[in-house]
Amino acid sequence: MAANFWNSSHYKQLFDQEEVDVVHPLDKDKGITLEDFKLIKMHMVIPICKLAQQVKVRQRVVATAVTYMRRLYTRKSMSEYDPRLVAPTCLYLASKAEESTVQARLLVYCIKKMYSDDKYRYEIKDILEMEMKILEALNYYLVVFHPYRSLPQFLQDAGMNDISMTQLTWGLVNDTYRMDLILIHPPHLIALACIYTASVYREKDKTAWFEELRVDMNVVKNIAMEILDFYESHRLITDERINAAFNKLKP
Amino acid sequence: MGEKPEWLQQYNLIGKIGEGTYGLVFLAKTKSPPNCGKSIAIKKFKQSKDGDGVSPTAIREIMLLREITHENVVKLVNVHINHNDMSLYLAFDYAEHDLYEIIRHHRDKGNNMINQYTVKSLLWQLLNGLNYLHSNWIIHRDLKPSNILVMGEGEEHGVVKIADFGLARIYQAPLKTLFDNGVVGAEAKSTSNPFQLDQLDKIFKGTSMRILDYMGAVPLSTKSASFDLLSKMLEYDPRKRITAAQAIEHDYFRSEPLPGRNALVPSQPGEKVINYPTRPVDTNTDFEGTTSLQPPQPVTSGNAISGGMPGMGGGMNPGNIPMPRGVAQPHQQHHLRRKDPPGTGTGYPPQQKSRR
Repeated sequence: MAANFWNSSHYKQLFDQEEVDVVHPLDKDKGITLEDFKLIKMHMVIPICKLAQQVKVRQRVVATAVTYMRRLYTRKSMSEYDPRLVAPTCLYLASKAEESTVQARLLVYCIKKMYSDDKYRYEIKDILEMEMKILEALNYYLVVFHPYRSLPQFLQDAGMNDISMTQLTWGLVNDTYRMDLILIHPPHLIALACIYTASVYREKDKTAWFEELRVDMNVVKNIAMEILDFYESHRLITDERINAAFNKLKP
Repeated sequence: MGEKPEWLQQYNLIGKIGEGTYGLVFLAKTKSPPNCGKSIAIKKFKQSKDGDGVSPTAIREIMLLREITHENVVKLVNVHINHNDMSLYLAFDYAEHDLYEIIRHHRDKGNNMINQYTVKSLLWQLLNGLNYLHSNWIIHRDLKPSNILVMGEGEEHGVVKIADFGLARIYQAPLKTLFDNGVVGAEAKSTSNPFQLDQLDKIFKGTSMRILDYMGAVPLSTKSASFDLLSKMLEYDPRKRITAAQAIEHDYFRSEPLPGRNALVPSQPGEKVINYPTRPVDTNTDFEGTTSLQPPQPVTSGNAISGGMPGMGGGMNPGNIPMPRGVAQPHQQHHLRRKDPPGTGTGYPPQQKSRR
C-alpha cells in the first residue's frame, strides 16, 4: 500500500492556481484586489517567522502555520478573519500539531513586545477563539507535508549536498512560503524546483540528474519560474504599497 | 445545566460511558435518517483551565483520524466545536465492547477460556489495523486492551476497532516511498525504523524478564503455530521482532479455525456464544457533565461489570479516554470524585492539571 503523501488529505486537497487566486466577495467590496490579497498573505509570513524565532520553534512549524493561513484564505475573507490575528493563531495551532506546543500567553507577550501598533493588540482570549474558528474552517485537516524532508536526500543523490548548496536551497524553500506554491504542488516538486533554481544560479549543470527522475520537468521548471518571478517582483514592493493594501481592510 | 448546543440536537443523549483527564465520553443515538437510532460515542474535550485552548492531545487525535480510514480503526464521524464554552466534541461509531472487558469477563468467570476462533479473529483484525497504521507511518504509542474496541451487535458485529490516537504520531516517511511510487527512478535508500529503538530498548529492558516468565506460563504447546507467533511478537530485539505485515502471513492464521470478520460469533456449530456484558451507562449525566449523585445504571443486561468494581477503566471506556487503571479506589469514592456537581468547589482530581 502506498503510504503517506499520496494518501493524505494534503494531496487530495491540492488546489489549482485559479482556485487560490480568488478574492473573497467581502474583501472585494472593500476594494481588495488580487494583488493586494497576495501581498497581504506574503507580508504576513514575516510576523509568523519573527514570532517563531522569539518562541524558538522549528522552521517546520512556521511552514505549517503559513500553510494553514493560506488554506484558510481560500475559504474565508480577511474582513472576517483579520490576518494580524490569524497569523499568530496559525503559529499557535501549528505548534500543537507539530508537537512543540507554545503557550498562548508567551505568544501574546512576544507580539506586544514586537509591535507597538494597536492593531496587533490581541489578548489570549482572542487567540483561543480564533484557534477554534480556524480549526473549523480548515475542516480539521491539519497534516501538512513540506519540501524540507525530501531536500537533503535529493541533494545527496544529485551530489550537491555541500554546505553552500544546502543553505541556498534551504533558503529558497523557506521563501516558497511567500507564495501559494504549497497549496498547489506536491512538496517534493517544490523541493526539486528549488534545487533546479539553485543549480542554475550556481551554474551547475544537473540536466542529466533531472532527466533520470521520473517527474514532469515542465512542472518543476514552471515552479522555478514562479520563484524567480517572485524574487523579481519582490524588490519592487514598498512599505507604502503594503500599508495601502492593509488600509483597505479597515472596517 | 446549560443549553444544549445546536449540533447536539441531532443526537439523543443516552448517558455518560467514560471519563478521563481531559474530558468525558457519552453514548448518544442519531435522531433522524439515514442513520436513525445508530449509536454514537461522543468524546468531549474540555477547555483547559490554564488558558491554552484546544488540548494538544485533541489536536493530534483529530489530525490523525482525519487521515486514516480502515475497517479496524475507529471511525471519526463528526467533529463539533461549541464556541460558547470552547469545548470540542468528537463523534465516533460506538463500540459496545473492548478487549479489556472481554479478557476480564473470561478471567473472572475462571473456568471458560476464550474460544480459539475469537482469539485468532481478534488478533488478526488487530494486526490488520496495525499494519495499515504502520504502513502509513503512524505509530499508536498507547496500544492496550482498553483501546482495542470490538463492535457490538449490528452490521459490524465483532469487528475490532483500534481507538484513542491522542498519543499517536505520524512519522514522515523516508524518501523511499517516493521511489516506490515511481516518482524517482533511482535505487531506494535504506530506511530508518519508525520506532525509536533506544526508547523501546529501555522499556523492554524493564519488561523482558516478565515476558520470559509469561511465555513459560502460556498454556500452549511450544510446537504450536500460536506459540511460535507469540514468541516472534514478543521478541526482545525490535529489529528481529515480527512486523504486523509479517505476522498476518503467519501459519497460525492459515490453519483452522480461520480468522473471521465477526470475532464474537464462532463459525463452527456447537461452539458456545458468549454474551459479553454491555457497557454500563450513567444515565444521570448531561452533555455538560453535570449529574445527580446516583450510582450508574447499567443500560441492559450488564452483570459483574456494573457493580462496585474498583479502579474502573476499560469496561467504561469505549471512547478512548485513558483512565488511571492502576489506582484502585473504592467505587463509591471514585464515584463521588467524578461527579461533584458544579459549584461545590472541589472540581476534578488534581492529576488533571499535570496531564496538560
